[in-house]
Amino acid sequence: MLTVAIPKGALLKDSIQLLSAVGLDFSAFLEPGNRQLQITDPTETAKALLVRNSDVPVYVEYGQAQLGIVGYDVLREKAPNVAHLVDLRFGSCRMSVAVKAASPYRSSLELPLHGRVASKFVHCARKYFEHLDLPVEIVPLYGSVELGPITGMSEAIVDLVATGNTLRENGLIEIDVLFQSTARLIAHPLSYRLNTDALNAYVEHIRSQIKDAIAA
Amino acid sequence: MVYQPPAGARDLLPLDVAQKHWLEERLQQVFHRWGYHRIITSTLERLDTLMAGGAITRSTVIQLQHLDDEPLGLRPELTASIARAAVTRMASRTYPQRLYYNANVFRRSQEGDYTRQQEFYQAGVELLGIGGLLADAEVLMLLMDCLHHLHLPGHLVLGEAGLTRSLLSIFPDPLCAKVRHAISTLDRIALETMELSDDLRDRALTLLDLRGKPSDVLQNVSQLPLNSTQQDSVRNLKSLIELLQDSQTDVPIVLDLSLIRTFDYYTGIVFEVVTSSASSGQTLIGQGGRYDQLLGLYHPQGESLPGIGFSLQLEELHQILLSLGQLPTQDPTSDWLVVSETSQTHAIAFTHAQKLRDSSALVRVEMDLSGNDHDQIREYARSRRIPHIAWIESDGSAAIERVN
Repeated sequence: MLTVAIPKGALLKDSIQLLSAVGLDFSAFLEPGNRQLQITDPTETAKALLVRNSDVPVYVEYGQAQLGIVGYDVLREKAPNVAHLVDLRFGSCRMSVAVKAASPYRSSLELPLHGRVASKFVHCARKYFEHLDLPVEIVPLYGSVELGPITGMSEAIVDLVATGNTLRENGLIEIDVLFQSTARLIAHPLSYRLNTDALNAYVEHIRSQIKDAIAA
Repeated sequence: MVYQPPAGARDLLPLDVAQKHWLEERLQQVFHRWGYHRIITSTLERLDTLMAGGAITRSTVIQLQHLDDEPLGLRPELTASIARAAVTRMASRTYPQRLYYNANVFRRSQEGDYTRQQEFYQAGVELLGIGGLLADAEVLMLLMDCLHHLHLPGHLVLGEAGLTRSLLSIFPDPLCAKVRHAISTLDRIALETMELSDDLRDRALTLLDLRGKPSDVLQNVSQLPLNSTQQDSVRNLKSLIELLQDSQTDVPIVLDLSLIRTFDYYTGIVFEVVTSSASSGQTLIGQGGRYDQLLGLYHPQGESLPGIGFSLQLEELHQILLSLGQLPTQDPTSDWLVVSETSQTHAIAFTHAQKLRDSSALVRVEMDLSGNDHDQIREYARSRRIPHIAWIESDGSAAIERVN
């Protein structure tokens, strides 16, 4: 049976709305108090797995899910071996470098040599500073990254920014953008090549939904 | 202290070995029936030998330093070694050479890998010194015969790297590598956002989607503007698919002209074989292709020779066959337990055991080494599922007891 990995959190609602537009109803995940991690749609044609954003590509790469919806930021960070099929346009945000507003730095290149940069996105951050040829120490954190510059543990952070409210409220400013991110439809490469469970029809249907939404 | 194996290392215990042997035995039978001969090459190779073909990067090889400072590596695959051996050590032989292997390979685990496994087992074939339709067909049919003998349902994903590369040549140079990378990794979004003219973008997306039922794909590719070499490739591919379909192979074929690597290693057909199971979904169990430039790299005079081959991933096959309940679930048990009853009968007991072993069929005989009492010995035989005990009594006679 076709299985879709859906991310918990910010992308959940839009993901479920999109899937319901192509005839796959997983709205049970949105019901308050839902504790199920795996559900089958009422027509029994597909299954959905509710997983963390960063775990979506893992299920898809292993082939336990043939399709997945995940932020581009995760794809950049983990570089999983999956097919990148459709830019779903929702979940817009950007991967940015931010510093304390009171600091003298106004671009990444002004950061001190061998300074510290805190991030949940260690791989993206390392790639970016390597590309700038600026040697910095990347400090891996798992949350509340903003505290890095506030406490003085790091000069800067690399983190996802959607509205910028969290940065502002914590006295930080964005100084550079690494890349823009949106939600993406991904597929298990072998299943995509073999068109397992008529997967391609769903992909095309989703693609045309997005096209229509842009045209409208 | 407890001595642990290095991260990523695996020990195969007797039951694992019995299962692995079951699998290897069946594959070997198929290889023999097709007239292939086993070759064993060195586990260690010079790093430059391993990397000559362009498919292997230094970072994936587990390297060792030789005494005279020559960088050596543990082989990550067999084709380079076999190509080297065939063109340098077997040069006086006539072609074609039909060779097979069954060996361990090593890969350095990379950042982002989910497992840290570093040693793998592969079985495969190389058909060297001959190109053309029949050689391609032989290797594919041999691969399908392997699946058949393992009772494994599978799919064949078939591409043509030479044709795809040629179709990609309409893209101007710095872009071509990017388009190829996007197609080989099935990254449609990259193609949609790349700086390309509308015509080129349409062409790139067409190439990405050249996949599906062979007759449909052949029709779609024929509608592209093709030069005469490309037309020949399409015709050959059509003949190959017809030949496979007429030969009663029951493995469904997906023709996939987007199946291409990011490096120039394969020159003709490329293929992957995929099997699906309820528990693990679609799994890649083998892959291969034609490499007509490779042997020339190893030939002392640079003489170019065609070659084609495939490798099967034995760990993947093992897992799938295990989940399908096809592999033995127990080690072979002993047929006899021979017990010397007194200190005077030891020699007679050993002689008796040897007589049993010398039978023409395989008879497994173990000696009782414990000196325990009868009940304990019977309990031991029962727990090891040994069906017969021969008690060698003080007068030298053997009393036979069936264990139930």
